[in-house]
Amino acid sequence: MRQVLNKSRVLLEVWFSHMSAYRAEIVIWILTGSVPLIMLAVWIGQAQAAGGAIGEFTPQRFTAYFLAAWMSQQLIVSWVSWELDFQIRQGTLSPKLLRPLDIFWEHWFAHVAERFIRIPIMLVVVIAGILLVPGTQITPDLPHAVVYFISIQLGWLIRFQIAYCIGLLAFWFDQATAVDELYFVIAAFLTGAFAPLELYPPAVRAIIEWLPFPYTIYYPVQILNGSIGWDVIGRILLIQIGWGVAFVGIRRLLWRQGVRRYGAVGA
Amino acid sequence: MIVVDALHKHYEVHEKEPGLMGSLRSFVQRNTHTVRAVDGVSFELAAGEMVGFLGPNGAGKTTTLKMLSGLLHPTAGRVEVSGFTPKERKTTFLKMITLVMGQKQQLLWDLPALDSFVVNQAIYEIPDDQFKATMAEFNALLDLDEILRKQVRKLSLGERMKCELAAALLHRPKVLFLDEPTIGLDVNMQVRIREFVAEYNRRFNATVILTSHYMADVTALCKRIIVIDKGKIVFDGDLAQLLEQASPNKIIKLELAAHIDDAQLASYGILHARDGLRAEIAVPRNETSQIAARILTELPIADVTIEDLPIEEVIGMVFAGRNMREEPEVSYAPGAE
Repeated sequence: MRQVLNKSRVLLEVWFSHMSAYRAEIVIWILTGSVPLIMLAVWIGQAQAAGGAIGEFTPQRFTAYFLAAWMSQQLIVSWVSWELDFQIRQGTLSPKLLRPLDIFWEHWFAHVAERFIRIPIMLVVVIAGILLVPGTQITPDLPHAVVYFISIQLGWLIRFQIAYCIGLLAFWFDQATAVDELYFVIAAFLTGAFAPLELYPPAVRAIIEWLPFPYTIYYPVQILNGSIGWDVIGRILLIQIGWGVAFVGIRRLLWRQGVRRYGAVGA
Repeated sequence: MIVVDALHKHYEVHEKEPGLMGSLRSFVQRNTHTVRAVDGVSFELAAGEMVGFLGPNGAGKTTTLKMLSGLLHPTAGRVEVSGFTPKERKTTFLKMITLVMGQKQQLLWDLPALDSFVVNQAIYEIPDDQFKATMAEFNALLDLDEILRKQVRKLSLGERMKCELAAALLHRPKVLFLDEPTIGLDVNMQVRIREFVAEYNRRFNATVILTSHYMADVTALCKRIIVIDKGKIVFDGDLAQLLEQASPNKIIKLELAAHIDDAQLASYGILHARDGLRAEIAVPRNETSQIAARILTELPIADVTIEDLPIEEVIGMVFAGRNMREEPEVSYAPGAE
């Protein structure tokens, strides 16, 4: 256990140092992930044109939703598929395979360390958004915020595992990152980053509920905004755990099969 | 310690004609063929042995090392390193070995080398006192003090190789796979690295397999040589034995005091090279002293040395499957008569 904690501490410290060198780039990467903020402006315009609200969504409610969606998107961002794809195809995975540490943990801690750099910048944007639309209430109380914190960790677990699985496809395909780009497009529509899922046709909504996407952004946002009851929250958390465990299983299977095919290219 | 038995590694390789038509054709139908990178290799190493693994480019040396270290899964055959099956990549196995690849790096690019060492200390669970002792030893052998706190990307190639080697050996592995560790380094640095590896082998009784294109690496460190070509072993034994087998001749290098024509020189043996008053004659090993004595009595000689054929030539001949008796070479420098 002591060794596990020691390795975790060392990996986190080293990746924090590494990421600190990239803080300017991180600001730019934050800005490139701004679909919810753009959609916020669009939907507020639509609400005002429709006489003040669309369904139950007033401009204040849209702001609370999209700021939370943007923040959630920032907190679950995962670039591991690109890293893995590069490492597998270029052979830079080789030195890492020689060490007695699953490469998964290196990527995990790199992402966690980057979060610490990203969060302060992200909070500035969220607070600015709240101030710009008076009457916006992003969360009703502290308990909702605390449970949101747990739910978004689970959302990140799901997203990270999916991204990792996509990266592992590089053991089989030359352009695994194309799948990640496809995920990005699908996710924009199905995670709630594009619009609250309440505004989708019921038949489409029913299908989406069976997919992992809404459990990465939409449902954590609903928890934060206080839009769903505590009884539903418990069920949501269990479903998130279920999807997380499922993708962990898929990841481990892909890794075991993929590493046998690894070509270790390069001298 | 290391047992390799009928080891094979085959790759499916796709072929594509160049240009647009080639791309379109391969889209519909891909031509593949099998490359037998390692084709039935067998050898055994005892603990503490240092072996040179030689072969031309594409012979299968690096592929064999990658299978020995668990990076690649063999197509067929058996590999055992100290009782472990490398491809299973068990933690105890990984802590026991290291593979240093001259052209690959493990150090974190944007951080000082020392940060990578600290990460390795944690990953390999090296106790603090052992870490400090190992760092002190490596500092003394490789002069790392001045470069440990510089960003890796700002180090010269030689400095980076020293740090890579130290990082790879930090956990005091018992089995070293060194794949061209001195490639691209200047002569002084090559000597430093060789001395370091020799000292490491002495101190820790480590088993070492070394591949290199620099014969000086191999002659300085290894008594036993395994020569591999086209995926098969063509020689496994003593370096001295290889020289005798592949080159049954020695070279008598002469500096003549007066001009002697080729025909007369060729009466003593095979005229290997000629450049004005300098000549090289290849003679059978067991007749060297007699022939040398004859030359000294019968010809006007200013200087004479007796050498083995340069080892690079011997290895080259082994690769090409030739030997000196069959195809003597005569080269003339410009301006010779």
